[in-house]
Amino acid sequence: MSTQSSGEARRAILASIRRNLKASQPHDARRDGNAFQLSRATPQGLQSLPSGSTDPGVTTDSASRVAEFRRRLESVGASCSVFQHEHEAASELERLIQEAGARRIAVSDAPLLKTIISHVNTGTKLLSEEAVLAGELFECEIGITSAQWGIAETGTLVLESERERHRLTSLIPPVHIAVIAAQRIVGTMSEALARVRGQGRDDLSRAVTFITGPSRTADIELTLALGMHGPRALHVLVISDDSNNMLSSAGEIKEW
Amino acid sequence: MNRLQSEPFHTRARAALGNEQQRGALRKAIASIKERQLKVVARMDDWEQLRERARSIKDETLRRLDYYLEEFATKAERAGAKIHWARDAIEACSIICRIAQERDARSVVKSKSMASEEIKLNAALTAAGVEPVETDLGEWIIQLAGETPSHISVPAIHKTKAQVADLFAAKLGIERTDDIAALTNTARNTLRRRFAAADLGISGVNFGIAETGTILILENEGNIRLTTSLPKTHIALMGIEKVIPQLDDLDVMLKLIAPSGAGQRMTTYQSLITGTKKRRCDEGPEEVHIVLFDNGRTQMLAHPVTRQTLACLRCGACLNVCPVYQQIGGHAYGSVYPGPIGAVITPQLIGLSKASHLPFASSLCGACAEVCPVKIDIPELLLHLRAEIAEGSPNSAGADARGEKTPSRWGKERLAFRLWARVMSNRLLYEWSVRVARALQRKLVRDGQIRKPDRTAAGMMPPLMMAWTAQRDLRPVARQTFREQWRDELKKSKGGARHK
Repeated sequence: MSTQSSGEARRAILASIRRNLKASQPHDARRDGNAFQLSRATPQGLQSLPSGSTDPGVTTDSASRVAEFRRRLESVGASCSVFQHEHEAASELERLIQEAGARRIAVSDAPLLKTIISHVNTGTKLLSEEAVLAGELFECEIGITSAQWGIAETGTLVLESERERHRLTSLIPPVHIAVIAAQRIVGTMSEALARVRGQGRDDLSRAVTFITGPSRTADIELTLALGMHGPRALHVLVISDDSNNMLSSAGEIKEW
Repeated sequence: MNRLQSEPFHTRARAALGNEQQRGALRKAIASIKERQLKVVARMDDWEQLRERARSIKDETLRRLDYYLEEFATKAERAGAKIHWARDAIEACSIICRIAQERDARSVVKSKSMASEEIKLNAALTAAGVEPVETDLGEWIIQLAGETPSHISVPAIHKTKAQVADLFAAKLGIERTDDIAALTNTARNTLRRRFAAADLGISGVNFGIAETGTILILENEGNIRLTTSLPKTHIALMGIEKVIPQLDDLDVMLKLIAPSGAGQRMTTYQSLITGTKKRRCDEGPEEVHIVLFDNGRTQMLAHPVTRQTLACLRCGACLNVCPVYQQIGGHAYGSVYPGPIGAVITPQLIGLSKASHLPFASSLCGACAEVCPVKIDIPELLLHLRAEIAEGSPNSAGADARGEKTPSRWGKERLAFRLWARVMSNRLLYEWSVRVARALQRKLVRDGQIRKPDRTAAGMMPPLMMAWTAQRDLRPVARQTFREQWRDELKKSKGGARHK
């Protein structure tokens, strides 16, 4: 029954669109022929649309991308530190855990995290993602994940659900720590969208999340308050060494 | 959508103008948003190109809307989403209620969605025995207060922190505090319990991408991520005009909507959801439903001027710069969409005769057109709608039931303009009228202006002037017109003098 009426509604809506677009044609013809276009765009197929804007400030140099990424993150109230080696990152993790006084920590299944976590000395209970149900996540003070991509021009982390199980770990605990390899930081939003879209038909993950800073609201008197529903603190650790062999000898990223 | 309240617009507007506290709160809030917006936009060198590109994308999409909608639906279904089509608000509500009832959903979490306000979803759900809980802080505040949003992006902008403090103390039984961080924390903890217990999550959609069948929803708080990832079922309500062609188009759209909507460079979270999860053990809902609804949108496609209405991103930037909105606030418009965009959308969605006052709720200053990220020419639209109303197009046929713009008033205006044209096109008639006016006005002029008369002079003023002087002064006719001065000067300098 419901499919039938939905089919009817679909037909009716599409028919209405076609009917109204047809009615618009004489008016459109008059406007399109008008020499004074003002700011009106002429109808064009997708192919001839001008290419997307690129921020001239973002270079393709890795070090400056990382610097830009860090600057943007800090401007939205997240912290960002860069480490040469994994064990340095591990120390920072220890420090953050102690600072938060965390008793229960959830860690996602990212390969990047496995080695780092092994260096971390803390009495705190670490829960790996398979064992953690959403209910348990509500009891955790910290959630640690990696990020598949970073966007320098906006200070954004990109999380792809098919590459790692981090959709809830990055959301529910009040502190989110994200670890990312420097090589994964691209310059622009456009590049990140292309990576996420991928080449094949099925490359796009079912849930892709862009994170730019901690959760916030300004709904009461437009005064900023952090940690409304998502994490109130976001710490990003950038690792710029290659000990986990992310780069091949040619300097290309081995795996997406 | 027939939310318009029973009083006419000018009554509501006058009431809003009398509410000093609301005006103050609104003014402060809007000044703050505008300052942030200006700052962010000033730092973007390519702002104008982005606007131009976004408008091109929208124009291209709307002119082939059937194609892109079908592509979107096909791709989304291929990834496991269930697509539903609804011709109007009632159909959309009934689809959503049916899904909720079939899954025996008792507790529903909702994220901020103007579309859901438009179709009056909360009322429909409640009537169906399903309790919808708003989770966006601003929306939750007004839900507790039993009010409707007064601004597109900051729904509780009209409330001071003292009012929120009172509200929380009264409705939640907590100790009263007006510390904003504490209030936020209270909301977080209270709503968290709801998220954990919810059977169903309902969200809106900011963009639907045809290329991949993806829906994108953006936010700052995190409630949308929770709403769309915790409950077993997710229903996304999407106006058919939200579709855009490609994933890459998001680059432009996201860079425009964050500064315009919130004065930010980028909103905190974007969720790009394509279909349902691949494996049962993956995170996320088991079912994703997308309800595509029309509710009056397709008829806007029939003319290039009205078609641009559908480019709207619902960012609210036009509200923040509108001198009318700033003074009277959102509720005075009596419609779901307030401000400049509301003035053009609402009459088109519900019929010109039912909302004929809205296109006139504007001084045509054009500030809205300047800030609109997709370059909607709102003044052009307002004039187009005004013309339709004045000419009595099929939409506006018949007297409005609430007597807001009755034919007799239109008759009076037409008569007045005809008289004016007659006088202005006949020199003798014009000069004679000026002399008569000069004689008659003597009693009405005070301090060099014709003002609102006191009791004694009131009887001398014709009704039209009474209406005018209620809010404005009128310059009186001069003692000597320019022509008369000219003639006198010529007489004086007669004999040899040349006029320049």
